[in-house]
Amino acid sequence: MMDLTQPQWVKHVVFHPFEGFEDLRWKKGGTLKYTVIIIIALFFALIAYDRWCGFQFRPLPDAMFSVVPYIMRSVVYFLAWVLGNWAICTLLDGEGTMKNICIYSSYALIPYIVSTYVNVFLTHILVRDEQVFFSTVYYIGLIWSGLLLFNAIKAVHQYTFTKTVAAIILTLIAMLIILFLAVLFLSLFQKVYVFFYSLYTEILYRVRV
Amino acid sequence: MKKQAKRRLIRTAAAGLSLLAAIPALALPTSADEPYDVYNYNYLGEAVPSQAGYLAERSVSGLDLGTDAFSTPSDLFKDENDLFYLVDSGNNRILVIDSEFTKIEKIYDSFKMPDGSETTLKNPKGVFVSPDTGYLYIADNENSRALVCTKEGEVVMEITKPESTVYDQQLTFLPQKILCDNAGNIYIVLNNTTKGAAMFDANGEFIGYYGANAVAATATVIANHFWNAIASEEEKRYRARSTPTAFDNFDLDTAKGFIYTSTSSGSTDTDIVKKVNPEGYNLFSYMSNFTWGDLFSTWYSGTSYKTKIVDIDIGSDGSINCLDATTGRVFQYDKEADLLFIMGATGDQVGAFTAGNVTAVETKGDGCENVYVLDSGKGTVTIFGQTVFGGIVHHATTLYNGGYYEEALDPWLEVLKRDGNYRRAYLGISSAYYNMGRYKDSMEYAKKADASARYNRAFERYRSEWLREHLTVILIIAAVLIAGIWGLRKFLRKKREKALATATNQKGGAAV
Repeated sequence: MMDLTQPQWVKHVVFHPFEGFEDLRWKKGGTLKYTVIIIIALFFALIAYDRWCGFQFRPLPDAMFSVVPYIMRSVVYFLAWVLGNWAICTLLDGEGTMKNICIYSSYALIPYIVSTYVNVFLTHILVRDEQVFFSTVYYIGLIWSGLLLFNAIKAVHQYTFTKTVAAIILTLIAMLIILFLAVLFLSLFQKVYVFFYSLYTEILYRVRV
Repeated sequence: MKKQAKRRLIRTAAAGLSLLAAIPALALPTSADEPYDVYNYNYLGEAVPSQAGYLAERSVSGLDLGTDAFSTPSDLFKDENDLFYLVDSGNNRILVIDSEFTKIEKIYDSFKMPDGSETTLKNPKGVFVSPDTGYLYIADNENSRALVCTKEGEVVMEITKPESTVYDQQLTFLPQKILCDNAGNIYIVLNNTTKGAAMFDANGEFIGYYGANAVAATATVIANHFWNAIASEEEKRYRARSTPTAFDNFDLDTAKGFIYTSTSSGSTDTDIVKKVNPEGYNLFSYMSNFTWGDLFSTWYSGTSYKTKIVDIDIGSDGSINCLDATTGRVFQYDKEADLLFIMGATGDQVGAFTAGNVTAVETKGDGCENVYVLDSGKGTVTIFGQTVFGGIVHHATTLYNGGYYEEALDPWLEVLKRDGNYRRAYLGISSAYYNMGRYKDSMEYAKKADASARYNRAFERYRSEWLREHLTVILIIAAVLIAGIWGLRKFLRKKREKALATATNQKGGAAV
């Protein structure tokens, strides 16, 4: 029973929001390889949403494009989520390993990513008055992914409903702290770098004169 | 060793200097005639190099016109016959100069009162000539009066401090600027009230105030409003009141009858320029986020230099010319408040002005062919002439704003040939092609202008046209697809049933 290949697991999980992740856990399905692919797909989906959509929906002028926010919104946010969730749930008797949190969370993002690509396609044939189709697809993807993510966390840690809600709220707080520390760290390292760089130029100057 | 190093240093410095000198030449290929770099703002609000719409032709002093040098001149006005009236405040006189600005037609330094006595001006600040009544209106500042007189210099009416209860009797009456609208009402800008311009009827009776600025809704003002709402009458009397800044100059759009006001106060961003209808309502109030003049204040040595619009002029084609005293620049907008050109600077050359001392701007011609800027510091009037490029832009703008999109197409294309950065040309071309039914081209130009709303409009038409054209093909493809899927499903179901039947047969056979 339920001997599925990896692609079949993806389909099973996405189309069975309430049982899928329990099955995945029971059968030890899912692979990190897919996580990487999904996060890359998310990164390109976010870029596509801003850059490749029809011009009538384009929110951002060409001159203001920078790739950093997109890396931030895909890779960094995902890693912060996984790290934060793992940190919180280890303390809250969660059963999930870091690897499983990675896999389950990323599988949950699939509907959102797909809806984004569908929307990118739709913006090429819709005009602004018909935006309702566009937002419908967007909200379907968002709610679907939200539901999956909730059940993913619930299944991976074997939590009850209330405990999952609490864990997710705490995870969001943990994410904020992680990102705050990351920014602090970055700026600190920048200061250190500048210090050593000025030291280097100073020495160079002395050597020359 | 040391000598070599020194020589290398010198060489590097020399190379650096020559590079530095080359940079402006490379970056800003503008006209060599200008003592400043010509720029315009793109839709992101960045200053980009641009073609000059106006070039400074010459500057005229009082001596050039064969009279005494101007002494702190404060106003310049052009009447309907293209005669210029220059208020030479320091010399207490008003000069009438011909339309070419080459000779003086007349000098008003004394006037005949109705009772036959002579009267002179004392530091006059403003002048206006009404095309309807033909009278001169003079803001005679230090005499605390405004004079209405004929062109022969006979005073018809003298307006002094009103004795109305509406007018606070403790206030002085020092007219700064004056104008007379198409109905004969007289408006006087005073420097000591924030209630707006004092308004008088044609007989000189005080009516009230007109067109006050609104109070900027800053956090302090909102907080004040809240505290006032819960404060008692006693407390309220001691609370600070929110008063708006006063506008200090205005101009009449003779063709349409609107009065445009300008505010030079550096402490506010609201109502810098207003377009006021006869009822006193500001028609530009919807543009509350619009920045007139330079988009960013500059900071230098801890001081902020902010645009100070000291005078405003409405050209014959409806263009709004704002004079910024801080930078000595004239910002020319079309009647929809789209920026056309920026000209002027601070400095000593022709086309540049002494900082903070420019006092008046005036335009001449149906297409604003000339712009005149009065510099009270230098005591000169500088005349800007329109370039070919400026003329084409004005022509295209007038057509475009009048709704003649298709007629404006050729001028806009010509504008693009001369300045590919000129965004309004792309918008104009996009609109023209839209009206001509060339939706694909309209989309292309809307895209180049980064105007996605316009693109949306053209795309909608393009899509429906495309659908109409390809409807047969689309229907055929859809029909084939539906039939194909239906056939495939039926085929698959039959196959499955067959397989199931064989399986049960086999099972059945085994059981038996």
